[in-house]
Amino acid sequence: MSSELNIREEYADNVVTVFLSGEVDIYNSQKLKERLYKIIDDNKKDLKIECTELNYIDSTGLGIFVGALKKVKQYDKKIYIYRLKENIKKLFVITGLDKLFIIEE
Amino acid sequence: MITETDSIEIILPFKAEYVSVVRLTVSGIASRMGFDIEKIEDIKVAVSEVCNKLVALGSNIVPGYKIIFTISDKSLDIHFYCEDKSIKCIFGDENDELGVSLISALMDDVSLCSDNDYILYMSKAIEENI
Repeated sequence: MSSELNIREEYADNVVTVFLSGEVDIYNSQKLKERLYKIIDDNKKDLKIECTELNYIDSTGLGIFVGALKKVKQYDKKIYIYRLKENIKKLFVITGLDKLFIIEE
Repeated sequence: MITETDSIEIILPFKAEYVSVVRLTVSGIASRMGFDIEKIEDIKVAVSEVCNKLVALGSNIVPGYKIIFTISDKSLDIHFYCEDKSIKCIFGDENDELGVSLISALMDDVSLCSDNDYILYMSKAIEENI
C-alpha cells in the first residue's frame, strides 16, 4: 500500500477524470490543490475523481475537494467522486460532505 | 487487582513530512492491541488531525511536540504534549471545523482543551467480543 500521492488525469470531450492513488495528507495536499485547480481552470469541464486507489485522506485533503467544488461551480460544472473506499466514505459522511458531492460507486 | 499499562512516546518536529510517521506508529500500536482495521483507521485519522494542527501552529521556542500512547487491556489513550506552554486549546478557528468533527466522531473520548500539562487527550476503547 503506497503512501505516496499519485495524480493522473484523462481527458474526454466533456469531462476530465482525475485518478488519485496513495495518501492525501498535510504534506502533499498542496500538490493536489495546485493540480486540481489548474485542471479545473484550464478545462472548465465536469470533473470525475476516481478514488479506487486512494487509501487515506485527512481534513486538508477534504478541504481541497470543497475548494475544487466551489471552483467548478464558478463554471457551472460538477464534481463526481467515484469508488471511495469505506474508510474514506466514512469521513465524507461524518463531515456532511457526502451531501455536497455526487458520490458514485 | 493490578492493571498493567505500557507507554510508548514519540517526539516529532513541527514538520508535515513526519505526520505519516505518526500514522505508521499508531497503526502498529493499535494493531498490536487487537483493534480491527476500521478502528485502526479511525485512530490514524484522529491522531493525524491533531498533528496537522500542531504542525500548522509550530513554535518559536521548541523544535517539536510529544505524543504518549498508553496501552492497556481496555483502551488506547493518547496524550499530546509540548513544552511551549503558549500552545493550548489548539482548535478553535473556523478552518478547524472538519478536523474537529472527525476527531470527535472517530474517538470514544476526547478532551480538546486541557488544564493539565498535556495539550489534548483522546482515547479509543477496545470492545470485547461477546
